[in-house]
Amino acid sequence: MVMLSNKFGLRRPLFSFLLIASLSIVPALAQTQQERIEVGFRLMAGHSEVRCGKQTVPLGIGEVPSRLKDARLYIHDVRLLAADGSLHPLHLETNAWQYANLALLDFEDGSAGCDGDASLNAKVVGLAPKLVYTGIRFEIGAPVQGMVSGQAVSLNHSNVETAPAPLDVLAMSWNWQGGRKFVKLEFYPATGVQRESDKVKAWTWHLGSTGCQGNPARGDVVTCRQHNRRPVVINGFDPSRQILAFDVAALLARVDLSRDEGGAAGCMSAPDDPECKQINAWLDAEQERTKRGESSRLFRVIDGRGDIRR
Amino acid sequence: MKSGRLVLLGALAALCLSAFAQINQSPTGGRERLPWGLPPDFPVPRIPMDNPPTQAKFELGRHLFYDRRLSGNGKLACAGCHRQELAFSDGRPLSPGSTGENTTRNAQHLGNSAWHTTYTWANPVLTTLERQMGVPLFGEHPVEMGVNDQNRDRIIERLRKQPIYRHLFQAAYPGPAPAFSWQNVIASIATFQRGLVTGNSRFDRYQRGQETLSESEMRGKDLFFGEKAECFHCHGGFNFSDQIAHAGSRHVAASFHNTGLYNLDERGSYPEPSRGVYDITGQDEDMGRFRAPSLRNVEVTAPYMHDGSVRTLEEVLSIYAAGGRNIESGKSRGDGRKNPQKSELIGTIKLTTDEQRDIINFLKTLTDQDFLRNLAFADPWGTSPGRRKSSK
Repeated sequence: MVMLSNKFGLRRPLFSFLLIASLSIVPALAQTQQERIEVGFRLMAGHSEVRCGKQTVPLGIGEVPSRLKDARLYIHDVRLLAADGSLHPLHLETNAWQYANLALLDFEDGSAGCDGDASLNAKVVGLAPKLVYTGIRFEIGAPVQGMVSGQAVSLNHSNVETAPAPLDVLAMSWNWQGGRKFVKLEFYPATGVQRESDKVKAWTWHLGSTGCQGNPARGDVVTCRQHNRRPVVINGFDPSRQILAFDVAALLARVDLSRDEGGAAGCMSAPDDPECKQINAWLDAEQERTKRGESSRLFRVIDGRGDIRR
Repeated sequence: MKSGRLVLLGALAALCLSAFAQINQSPTGGRERLPWGLPPDFPVPRIPMDNPPTQAKFELGRHLFYDRRLSGNGKLACAGCHRQELAFSDGRPLSPGSTGENTTRNAQHLGNSAWHTTYTWANPVLTTLERQMGVPLFGEHPVEMGVNDQNRDRIIERLRKQPIYRHLFQAAYPGPAPAFSWQNVIASIATFQRGLVTGNSRFDRYQRGQETLSESEMRGKDLFFGEKAECFHCHGGFNFSDQIAHAGSRHVAASFHNTGLYNLDERGSYPEPSRGVYDITGQDEDMGRFRAPSLRNVEVTAPYMHDGSVRTLEEVLSIYAAGGRNIESGKSRGDGRKNPQKSELIGTIKLTTDEQRDIINFLKTLTDQDFLRNLAFADPWGTSPGRRKSSK
């Protein structure tokens, strides 16, 4: 700054004028052009939609026919990529599914052996500048804190009994890890899940922060060794005419749902669980792809959005 | 702590809430603001600011603790796994939950749990009774009380229908906010648990000069607190545990220890699904590390260890005397004495069988008969066995 003012000392009044002018105009422009934007989602296994019910979808090694038990996930920090390369936060409305820029997606309706209740939520809704968008960024998981009316509020580690929706869902609270399940994805493989000494019905993936530590003096959670929030990058996406498929077939392609090699039947985020290692290796590779500017394959762009489920 | 005194102290419930909330900010004071008495040599426990203890909450918590209506299917109360005559343990290695699924760990006794740094057997993230309670209430792996999104409101309605709760909730949570809520249920049971103070054992009275111990008990005491047996390193202080936090604690550390109970492979693995802090952190050095439980009332809290795999105190002492447990056959085969993650405090002990017996005799002086019988902690419903036989 010092160098700048020395070198351009004579131009400083002009520079200041432009700076002030742009500062005062940009927010005004942004405010006048905000629009309500819906980003739609759908639970898919390859090209088949996945819902609660008797129908199965082939999943993983051996394409084991599997029936849905649960599919819910938290996402936050949604940003839209404009055609000019600029990123714009989607400021989420506060409603029964959204709080402090965090949203719960719920793809199960409690029928036919599914875990939850009848309500579904396959979209996030918020305000962003009225522009043509060509991509989206968000993160899977709940952050430690969010902002509400300028105040920091606890999110991931908040008390499920006093937290506002959608952080009040018991099924998504993870008491023994002190936080939330970011993803609760569960299936009934037709084969069952063969373990070393028994066979169980359900295959489970629970993603969440692990290795967390409380502060005994204050009684709250302080730090987590593995935060396990996962960034998602999708290019070539226009929310006004497309939706995002959460593709569980891609996620589980390298996993054999009919058997479990150790730990939880499936993966409950234990770093040494063989199934977690398989899933994490794939998610890590996906994250590397996105660093090179490529899209994540965990979500796929689907044309058309007329049938976003409410 | 006699029940008469409790009633007398109940008058303190009239103190304003903000006064109670000061407990944590007053390291030396606060004792007089507790609705129950403390032994003179006990520090004041730390208590979350948003749950100041009152006699009314304690009474409500006691009713809820013994109430099977609190479980999803109405078959299990907290007391189903925490029986007063066993210092609120349950005498089983593992305990069946409301749906019949077994817990993965031994039900702990609840005496003096107000002072624990962390809760359950090995979980650095659970630092308050309020947070701990989410595990038995809402846990799914395994199901214990079986409270879930589908039945949470229905259970609260069940409580609301009991005339006695209308009175108890109103007394504990006066004011405009709805008194019937899970938050208040949890806060009340936590308050009841904080009131489960055990500090009148023969050893306590000996320390106050009110009792003499036998020669064997005295020898056991000297071994326990001496460098030969070294028990006190992990089971020291007024609560015979190294996980102690109180209102005046300036630095609170949560220690966990591997005592060489298992060694499934040469790397020191413990059997799933109970591998200690490792289950939370995934770090090799946390394999087999568990919280040292308080040894108060240890005579009645058998079976022992995180998985209830040791039946008697005699076996416990012989394992420590050997520097760990060597399991020669079966699924858990392995020489725990050679567990590479074993605490450096285990294994240097050489104890004769006479010395082991003396230590056991000393440990039995930690039994507090008042605590096991105090009517203030007893089942207020009179009839509830805490657990109804499953129809399955």
